[in-house]
Amino acid sequence: MDAAHAHGYGHGDHAHHPSGILRWIQTTNHKDIGTLYLWFSFSMFLVGGVLALMLRVELFQPGLQVWRPEFFNQLTTMHGLIMVFGAIMPAFVGFANWQIPMMIGAPDMAFARMNNWSFWLLPPAAILLVVSFFVPGGATAAGWTVYAPLSTQMGPGMDLAIFALHIMGASSIMGSINIITTILNMRAPGMTLMKMPLFVWTWLITAYLLIAVMPVLAGAITMILTDRHFGTNFFNAAGGGDPVMFQHIFWFFGHPEVYIMILPAFGIVSQIVPTFARKPLFGYSSMVYATSSIAILSFIVWAHHMFTVGMPATAQLFFMYATMLIAVPTGVKVFNWIATMWKGSMTFETPMLFACGFIFVFSMGGFTGLVLAITPVDIQLQDTYYVVAHFHYVLVAGSLFAIFGGVYYWIPKWTGYMYDETLGKWHFWLSMIFFNITFFPMHFSGLAGMPRRIPDYALQFADFNMISTVGAFGFGLSQLIFLWVVIKCIRGGQKAADQTWEGAEGLEWTLPSPAPYHTFETPPVVK
Amino acid sequence: MLMTGFDHTPRKATPFQVAKAVLSAFIGIRKRAAHEHDTVTISPVQAIIAGIIGAAIFVSSLILLVRFITG
Repeated sequence: MDAAHAHGYGHGDHAHHPSGILRWIQTTNHKDIGTLYLWFSFSMFLVGGVLALMLRVELFQPGLQVWRPEFFNQLTTMHGLIMVFGAIMPAFVGFANWQIPMMIGAPDMAFARMNNWSFWLLPPAAILLVVSFFVPGGATAAGWTVYAPLSTQMGPGMDLAIFALHIMGASSIMGSINIITTILNMRAPGMTLMKMPLFVWTWLITAYLLIAVMPVLAGAITMILTDRHFGTNFFNAAGGGDPVMFQHIFWFFGHPEVYIMILPAFGIVSQIVPTFARKPLFGYSSMVYATSSIAILSFIVWAHHMFTVGMPATAQLFFMYATMLIAVPTGVKVFNWIATMWKGSMTFETPMLFACGFIFVFSMGGFTGLVLAITPVDIQLQDTYYVVAHFHYVLVAGSLFAIFGGVYYWIPKWTGYMYDETLGKWHFWLSMIFFNITFFPMHFSGLAGMPRRIPDYALQFADFNMISTVGAFGFGLSQLIFLWVVIKCIRGGQKAADQTWEGAEGLEWTLPSPAPYHTFETPPVVK
Repeated sequence: MLMTGFDHTPRKATPFQVAKAVLSAFIGIRKRAAHEHDTVTISPVQAIIAGIIGAAIFVSSLILLVRFITG
């Protein structure tokens, strides 16, 4: 892709922004807001990570040593909620804010003030979640799925969680409207849809998914709220309601949500792999089609999360077949990434390591997903650690590794400095090894029947759990390397070239490093 | 215009072409040239209508299949 732009970025680029704290509160600049999102997400990642380590401490040995069981349930719930809504989703919105305008040649996001509002809704929501630990009865302990009737019974911590989810949902919807409008209306001349970088494509489709399902979640938790306080009986069997209906509504949101958390990761990996293989992405249009295919299928598979609640055999078969079909477009994607690498002149800088790690480990998570899609197998494995292993393979080694890869890939453009390659490689290898030490044994404990969300377990699971806990602490501590790499990179180092990566293509690499505060005020022309 | 070999003033796509594009989207495989042709000949309205019809056919054929197996 060639881009011609007649800017003199080097001289006279005045960053017209207030300084100090007001800069960040008032900002309407997509780069500032992207930075805010990324830091917010990383702090939530640390909070959620500490909760996970608190869980693993209790699970180090059988028996109850450290936490009361009620508090353990609060920890599992809040770990899930904080990681999903506070860490993974905002991280991808942070990438979208930083990268989409630079990748399509737009000066900023379409609705700059709404962008500020979308971000600043998140900290209050996070505060509500964290504060809920300290209200009478503690935080919600109903699991991140807030299943009724658990969620219709708990204390005020549940109300705080509902309010937090509403706020985060509103933030996501506004973010999505902004992203769709930006992509559809603000592309540089010549940047047709089929010339857009794949990261932009995956976010366009993700944003539609978000707009489709976040209101469904809002509806579900509003019904819980009215069941709790306003005398309705949506989910109360005694009053003529149906608790299973909650599960259907929740998972109609929840399954597309899974793809909301992985499609932008696919986009990031599809940017990184061609760069370091020094070849164009193999099967670009297939990638676009596969992404939309996954998005469509994500709406008709929700009940595979609830095979054990009881449903007709016809329904079980329907959801089983539909779920297994998702392997086709996902397989197309994995095939295309590998075909991109095929005969490329590859180098393995940290972003590429994370992208390769993603493809390898995410595929394993995909395969265990296929195992779980088989109804009779799922009925055996439902609510065991096999499921915990499966979704951590796709969410940690999938989404999180892609986020790390994306940060290493673009941080030279954001800060103007190269990150420390040696430390980056340490971060990758320690994360990869400790991730597998933590989660691989969970397949075995799950197959052997260890239930999830339980603070105590039978003796035969002791060794696997001990290994998992050691791995979890290793993984958690390895993330401090990442924090150090990022801080070090912001503070200085080797100057990054404008075209940071030799094989990288795209408009963002035509800009100086660091990217000036205002970019593409005159749109570039894409040939 | 995008490529040689296709008309400079794109004709509207026939229902068959739209169906082919939607089917490709469901499987996730499409030739780039064919896709680029799609983007100039298929209107968004056509794509959305065909997508909804395609999803309905897909869901009903899955239901028929599982009815056949369980029946």
